[in-house]
This record gives sequence, C-alpha cells and structure tokens, in this order.
Amino acid sequence: MIVRRPRTAALLAAFALSSALACKLEPDTPELHYSLNRAEIAKNEDLASDPAAQVQLEGALEFLFGTPKAPAFLALPEWLEEDPPFYPSFWGEDHVRADEAAWGRLVESNKKAYREQLEAIRTGNLERVERPRYADDLWARWEEVRGGLPEGGPDAAYSDPFSGEEGTWRQSAAAVFENYYPKLATSAEFYRQQCYHCHGASGGGDGSTSRFLEPRPRDYRRGIFKFTALKGKAHPRHEDLFHVLTEGIYTTAMPSFRRFTDAQLHGLVDYVRLLAVRGEVEGLMASDYTPETGIDFEGLKANYELVMGKWRAAKDAVITYAGPVPEITPERIEHGRTLFMTPGDKGGANCVSCHGTSGRGDGASAFEIDPVTKLQRRVKDDWGNEIQVRDLTRGVFRFGRRPIDLYRRIYAGINGTPMPEHIGFTVTEGGQPHPMSEEDIWDLAFFVRTLGVQAAHEIPHEAGGH
Amino acid sequence: MNSLKHALLRLVVTLLLVAVPVLGVWTWVKAEDWHLWFPETVSTYGAGIDHLFYVIMWMVTVTFVLTEGALVWFVLRYSGRGERRAVYTHGNHTLEMVWTAIPALLLIFVAFSQMKAWSTVKMNFPEDGPYTVEHPLMEVYGSQFDWRVRYPDAQGNFEGADVIEVPYDIYVPEDTPVVLRLKSRDVLHSFFVPKFRLKQDAVPGMNIPVWFEAEEAGDYDLICAELCGWGHYKMAGRVHVLPKDEFERWLADQRAALYRTE
Repeated sequence: MIVRRPRTAALLAAFALSSALACKLEPDTPELHYSLNRAEIAKNEDLASDPAAQVQLEGALEFLFGTPKAPAFLALPEWLEEDPPFYPSFWGEDHVRADEAAWGRLVESNKKAYREQLEAIRTGNLERVERPRYADDLWARWEEVRGGLPEGGPDAAYSDPFSGEEGTWRQSAAAVFENYYPKLATSAEFYRQQCYHCHGASGGGDGSTSRFLEPRPRDYRRGIFKFTALKGKAHPRHEDLFHVLTEGIYTTAMPSFRRFTDAQLHGLVDYVRLLAVRGEVEGLMASDYTPETGIDFEGLKANYELVMGKWRAAKDAVITYAGPVPEITPERIEHGRTLFMTPGDKGGANCVSCHGTSGRGDGASAFEIDPVTKLQRRVKDDWGNEIQVRDLTRGVFRFGRRPIDLYRRIYAGINGTPMPEHIGFTVTEGGQPHPMSEEDIWDLAFFVRTLGVQAAHEIPHEAGGH
Repeated sequence: MNSLKHALLRLVVTLLLVAVPVLGVWTWVKAEDWHLWFPETVSTYGAGIDHLFYVIMWMVTVTFVLTEGALVWFVLRYSGRGERRAVYTHGNHTLEMVWTAIPALLLIFVAFSQMKAWSTVKMNFPEDGPYTVEHPLMEVYGSQFDWRVRYPDAQGNFEGADVIEVPYDIYVPEDTPVVLRLKSRDVLHSFFVPKFRLKQDAVPGMNIPVWFEAEEAGDYDLICAELCGWGHYKMAGRVHVLPKDEFERWLADQRAALYRTE
C-alpha cells in the first residue's frame, strides 16, 4: 500500500529520519564546572599566558572544593583533631551538633516545615508522606528507612541506619525529617534553582539576569559581603549570611527567602561560603603564581588555611553592646547632628561629605570625575560598580532599621564601599581631639533615625559643608 | 470492505467527540475530590463571592445544555435524508428578539446581583473597627520581588522611626476587620490571597486601601497575581491569622525587639 503512495512513503521516511536525527542531536547535559575568574588571571601575566598552569589551578581548586555536582570542602586533618573539631560546613557532614541552641531551632523549624509528613508517620498512613521539594537527600534517607520497616510494624524495634541508635522504627522515621540538614550537593542544586540566575555558577555575580539589575548581584569570590554585624570589615559569620537570606536586602533584587525551610537556608549559606572561599583561594593562587613555583601544593594549603582562618575569625568580631539601647534624648540627637554635619577637616565625623547636608546622599564626595571621559560619575565600590550613596531621608536601611543595626553600620562601615569604620575615628570637639566612642556612635545612629522621619526641608542647613 | 472501514472510522470519531463532554462533566463532578475546585474560604465575604460564581456557573450550565441540545436536535432532525430540497427562509423577527432579549436580561441581572459583593469588598470599608482607612493596621509594599509589611509605631504613625518592617510574613488578628494600605515600590503587583477571595492590584504611586476579616486562625498563602518581571514566581508570602490576644502579644514582641541589642 505504501509503495502505491510514494508521497506518503516519502513523508514517513522524512519523519523517521528527522526524529532519529533530533534524538541524536539533542545536546548532552553539559557537564557543570566552576570557571576560573578571568579578571584575577589577567592580573598575573605569567599565569595568563600559560594555559597549562591555568588547568593546574582548576585542578587544584577542584581538589579542595569538588565540582558543582559534587561540591565538598576539603577538611584538613588538623581541623578534625581540634576540640571541638572544626567542620567547614556549619554542621559538618555528620551533623555534629556543636551549637545545641541553634540545632534546637533547626529541629523546631523542620517539625513545622514537615508537619504533614510527621503527622502521616505518627498516624501510620505512610502513603501520605509527600516528597518535599529541593530535598533529594532527605527523600533518599526516607526511602531507605521506609524500606526497612520491620515486620512487627512501625513500633517494632529498629536500629537507625544513620545514627546507629536503637529505638522504634517510628522514631527513626520521624528523625529523618526532624533532624534534616541538607548535604552540600543538595544545597548546590538548590542554589542552581534559586540563586544561579543572578549569582552565577561560580558565585561571580554574573548569572544571566545579573545585567538587568542595579545594584548588581554580589560577586562572592572576594569574600567581601557588605552587610555583617562585625568589626574591622571581617568576613561574615554564618548568621550574617543567614540574616540576608531570611530578610532579603530591601530595595535591591535580593528577595527574602523565608518561603524555604531553615535547614535549606543553612545549607545554602554553607554552599555560598564554599563558593566564596573557593574564589578567594583562587585569587590568592593567581596572584602568587610564578613560572618557577607553579601551582604548588604547599602554597595551596597555606592559602586555603589563610582564607578559612579569616572566616573562622568572624565569630570573635561581633559588635556587641552590653545592655539595651541607651535612652534617646534631644541632646543626644543634637550631638549626633553636630557630628554628622561637621566635615572631617573641621573635626567632625564627616558624614556630610557623602550623605550631603540634607542626608540625601548627594554630598560632594559621592561623585568623582571619570578619568577617561572627564564627566562626573558616582563613586565606585570594590567590585567596580557605581554606588548610590544612601538617601537617609527615605528610611530605607538595607541591613535593617533597628537602632542596633544602624549602630553596627556606623560602627563598622560597609565592606567594599567608601563607608568607613567609625569606632576610634578621631573627631575634635571643644578643641579636644578624641577617638569616637560607642556613645558617640549611638548619637549618630539616633540622629540618622530622625532623618527618615523629618521631611528634608525641616533638616537644619546652617551647620556643615557650605 | 470499504463501507465497513468507513463505519468503523465514523464510530471512532463519534466516540472521540462524545468523550469530550463526558470527560468534561466527569471532571466537574469529581473536581472536589481531585482538589481542582476552590480552596475553602476563611474570610467573611468569601462566601458571597463564591455565591456569585455559582450563580453565573448555573446560568452558563443551563444555557450550555439548552444550546448544545438544540444543536444536536438540529443535526438529527435536518440531516440530509432522501431527495428533499433546501428551503430559503428570511428568518424570524420574533425569535431574534427573544434570543437577544433573554441574554440582555441575564446580563442586567448579573450586573445588579454582583453590586453588593463588589461594594462590600471594594467600597464599604470598616468604619467603627479598630482599623479604618485612615488608621490601617499595616502597609503592604509589593516590590521586585518580595512583599514587605510595615506596622506603625505605638502612636499609629507610619512615618516614625519605630515602624516595624517584615518581609514575607504578614500577621493579622482573627475575627477583626483588618484594613491595609497597598503600595508598590516599582511596577504593578497584585495582592492575592486565594482563601480570602481577595485580589487587588498594587499600583506604583497609588495608595489603595484593602480590607478583609479572617474567620479562622491559620496560615494562608499570599501570591503575586500580576506578572511583574522575571522574578514574579518568587513573590510569595504567608498570611498568619492569629487569635486576637496572640496577635497583640506578637506586635508587642516586635516593638520590644526593635530596642534589643543582640
């Protein structure tokens, strides 16, 4: 019949051929890999002109941090011998509960997030245990426990395959959900679902949506994060990054991720930290490289320890203030106003030079002349992006609007930007130079809080920069 | 041989065509079991809005059955049979009047019967409750790409330094008419809480009052229902309806937390 219909036959043949080709031509899933930071490589001419060394560098970084599909921190033996042992991931691979209070909060959050699954386990209605999203490792554990259901039913004795504890099967089943903490590989997949399109595969802030954004997404690879609660522009704590994930950064494209569970966000912080440490080690290795030394193992280990040491030091740099926020009085606000409005060369705190006499972020130092075009442009931050100096009259504070948040911001400045650390900054009052104290910083914070309330025209103009 | 093939083909096509309405009706009957129907409503005006939907649905159902029935009847009654010649007809003026007037009346009926629901949701804001259009419980800002809630300071002032700002989580008291001001920081967003049957666009530059009264404590989804950019899917939120005293405690906690230093 087909022979009698040559056109039909031809159509069928074409269809078969094109389907075969289409299957053949379908792109293989590209293998995910971290890419090298070209800007850092270009700074070292020797490395830039030596492709073999670049491949070595890539291999060295993979040795420390794995691949996007199988990321892992290399835990140095001396870290594990410490007391308590130090794991680069927040709770290590084995969920070592170093911080009981934090672990308790995590378990509470898991109980809430997986209440339907836990209820189904409690009532024995195992068909109703639904698969949660972005938690493949949780599901794998559940399937293992489910497969091990003893013949005697859920309340029969059962030895937990993960913790080794003896108990009933029902306890182990509930523990799978209650004690869930994602593996790095799961967090990496979660990162690719939620963060990748802005922050990029290697955390360079170069994802596909990044170029539409102002301000630009953070490039983690320098280890600099703007908003921390730490002194001396230190590397962020786990809590600082967690705070950014739950609160978002208002007025930027960074949203709040509260719709996910605490465990997922903790895992995400671990993974962001991996990308940041990886990028920083890469930068150090690139600048250290000489054709004589090559990419050597000792240098790699030293740099890895150096970078990780900075991250570990963060916990000692928290800005704390003993007691509640001091009482806010008109005198203190007035003192803050004087500090704010007086330029540095007249012995003030110099805020006015960038934030302007009305606090709108239009001070003279907020702008500079572009050396090439000779046109006025905004000042740039460490990542090379132009900065919009904060308009304090709008009441939008990206790190938070509580007095302690403003206090910490003024105390420590903002990492990677011209906003300096103010504690110890020398001011001259009544002819007496003295370093700024905690109380001076509170006064400034109290004044800045009033800027968001008062209309700009009510803010005094007589003092300051003119 | 050929006629058998034709008969078979006709049977298959007929069965396929019949399957469409049968499956449609079956889905409708089973919708509730398959969770395809509306989620339960927990706001005071939700039932009124559902009622409107059902009124219109029944009108459409009856019209659908009648017109489809007529269609089938015409196909059967007037299908080509024997040698009868086609007839020319100029139409029937009365019939046309009737089939124009009936839909017009139905439309007028729909237009008037929805007025109460519309005015309840969009115009008659609570006047004697703790929260009014002048003194709303909160401001909700849509921004690319999350929701932010602002609760006023203890004096009810939204411009004060002690305003409480929360992303994602919206806390409201149970059994209390709640008024909020809806604003946008950038582009169009839409504040949609399916279980309240509440949907209102947030328009940049506009200050739009919205009200609801939740009758049941619980957590309810808030989503953005207006395509607002590439991150539209991220714009989720959660409305937490708390018993009144618990809500007051939560608000007091938040105010106290402002002045903590940890």
